[in-house]
Amino acid sequence: MDRRAVLLAAAGLGALSACGRGFGGGGDDAPDGAVVLNMVWWGDNTRAQKTQAALDVFQRKNAGITVRTEYQDSAPYKDKLATRFAAGDPPDLMAMRMDSLREYADRGALLELTGLNMDGLGENARALAAVSDRTYGVPSGLNSIGFVVNRTLTDQFGVRIPDGDTWSWDDLGTFARAVTEASGGKVYGTGFDLFTLANLFVFTRQRGEDFFTEQGALGITAGTVQAWFELAQRMRDERGMPPAGFMDEAGASAAQSYIAAGKLASQIIPTNNFLSYNAAAGGNLALLRMPGETQGVRRGQSIDTPALWSIAAQSKHPRETLRLLDFLINDPEASQATGTTRGVPPNQQVAAAIRPGLAPDDQVATDYLIGLQGETLPRSFTYPPGGSAIASSLETIATEVEFRRQTPAEGAAAFIAEAKKALAE
Amino acid sequence: MSVLQQTPVTAPASAPRRRYRRQDRSGYLFLLPWFLGMLFTIIPFFASLYLAFTDYNLLNPPEWIGLDNFREMLADERLMRSLRVTVIYTVVSVPLSLAAALGVAMVLQQGIRGLPVYRAIFYLPSLLGSSVAVVILWRYLFGVDGVINKGLAWLGIAGPAWTTDPSHALTTLIILHVWTFGSPMVIFLAGLRQIPAAYYEAASVDGAGPWRRFRSITLPLLSPIIFFNLVQSLIASLQTFTQGFVMSGGTGGPADSTLFYNLYLYLRGFTQFDMGYASAMAWVLFVLIAVLTAVNFLAARWWVFYDD
Repeated sequence: MDRRAVLLAAAGLGALSACGRGFGGGGDDAPDGAVVLNMVWWGDNTRAQKTQAALDVFQRKNAGITVRTEYQDSAPYKDKLATRFAAGDPPDLMAMRMDSLREYADRGALLELTGLNMDGLGENARALAAVSDRTYGVPSGLNSIGFVVNRTLTDQFGVRIPDGDTWSWDDLGTFARAVTEASGGKVYGTGFDLFTLANLFVFTRQRGEDFFTEQGALGITAGTVQAWFELAQRMRDERGMPPAGFMDEAGASAAQSYIAAGKLASQIIPTNNFLSYNAAAGGNLALLRMPGETQGVRRGQSIDTPALWSIAAQSKHPRETLRLLDFLINDPEASQATGTTRGVPPNQQVAAAIRPGLAPDDQVATDYLIGLQGETLPRSFTYPPGGSAIASSLETIATEVEFRRQTPAEGAAAFIAEAKKALAE
Repeated sequence: MSVLQQTPVTAPASAPRRRYRRQDRSGYLFLLPWFLGMLFTIIPFFASLYLAFTDYNLLNPPEWIGLDNFREMLADERLMRSLRVTVIYTVVSVPLSLAAALGVAMVLQQGIRGLPVYRAIFYLPSLLGSSVAVVILWRYLFGVDGVINKGLAWLGIAGPAWTTDPSHALTTLIILHVWTFGSPMVIFLAGLRQIPAAYYEAASVDGAGPWRRFRSITLPLLSPIIFFNLVQSLIASLQTFTQGFVMSGGTGGPADSTLFYNLYLYLRGFTQFDMGYASAMAWVLFVLIAVLTAVNFLAARWWVFYDD
């Protein structure tokens, strides 16, 4: 039986949940009606416990459906997912990376989510997962990036934190230099990766450009890449930023971060990780907006998602999987259980409903996001295929520039050439 | 000697023949796990040969494109960079680690008390060397403010960024590789024991010094062992993956300076969904290793000396 037909027949999950197990239609469920769904995602142990708590609620409400989950670290996740698809054994529900969405969707591997109720999602949230006018994913939560500042360190060195709503990139430079000087070089004022796309996206938009355009072309110009490299080089020369080679992406977790180790006074983080960073850094972090938001041509920050939920086109149980997805997105009980481990719930009513019950740190990140959502921000566009090759060439070139093996201008020209080549393939 | 070789071509009588057959059968029975295991090697082996001539993105069926993958390889700058990294790594680290292995083996051969303990200590790194845990430990040792740099700072030397500076990252991996000389060392130790002590005694009587004894007795008699270790290390080194993967967080960075051939192959296959291209790369590596090994065997005629 055609899966799309089944979905059309299902038409609206509200009706579906009401019908419960007895809902008609074909399918290959076990004779006793038991359905086992496989759900995979990446993350840590805390996220696992919170996810399981939500699934327990789901299984209580949906007798006969069992959800079997698997999770691992983000790096091996991507490979494992690709391998499972290649082996013809895709999971039913999966966390999908933003930069992989089109690689899967364009190749027909994902189910078009026509039957899912997304009324509660804002314009920005829905646009995140749109591939032309089709939807192959739902944001698992909303986040953005923000600047965290370790107030324990700034208090210790007597450095004033700039106003996080209006500060400029120059203010960041001044602040960073002041911290490094006051600490006698023991602590650097700031540090962030130049090749993390999310960071560069913000800077690019502030200059009136898009990194990837709506048509999936390269929108960033060499001038912007050069300015980005020069910005960091200036801060490095002034010693506000650590010297080349100091930053090492090995310790990606909050506990291993430089801000937790007290080596950096500020850094950029995804806001849904605020809780864990704050815990790791001793509970005294301030969450600021990105610098340059009020000085640039336009706003740079955007509403993003750490991951999308997608369903495999080959799923044997698309109806049940859709029901599970509907639960995760639209049922306040699910978000109460998961907290903001995947970001602020994309459904605005759900987000408002659970906010009062959240832990104080979760509220900080939630308020930050709710504030951003109320503003007019540029939209972020789906990564075109070839995005992963672009990310890797940016990483290579940023390192070359960091060690002064290339000037910012040379690096920028090289990056644009490589990126155009990757998109043409 | 194998069971099969003992079976005469023509069995003289019927009774023994039955016995031999039973023997054959048990031989094959014991080989059965190997045959089953081979299936898991042979099927992917031919599958990858087929995929090498296709465009295969893991999600859709492979599409036959003939030699296109191989043509693309010729123009692929990153591939050439990865070859260069692998060749530099091999050319520098294989001789160094073999020299270290032979050196330590000869010291241990002198008959130190507690030899098994030393042997174990030196052998341990080669068991752990390419494991994830050790590479991570290595990162901490060689971090910007790791143990090594703290030691250097104490001596008044400003240590470099060992793992994050593109000019030093490969050197750090070469040091790691040399450190894992234990397994060729154990083989050298076994080889050294085979050399009759009488040769050395006779040479000493004739007035040969240590260097002369090493050049004229140890090296020639040990040459089959050196040859074995050389071929083994060369093949292993060309297939290096884990060290580069873990040290660079799976990217081959900083700035592609640890982008080993196999790491690039993996990146193409699994992160860029280019399994056809990755398969083609695997076959090129296979042919490369086969040719190098053949060259090694040919060259061996000139310097490997068999004493029997």
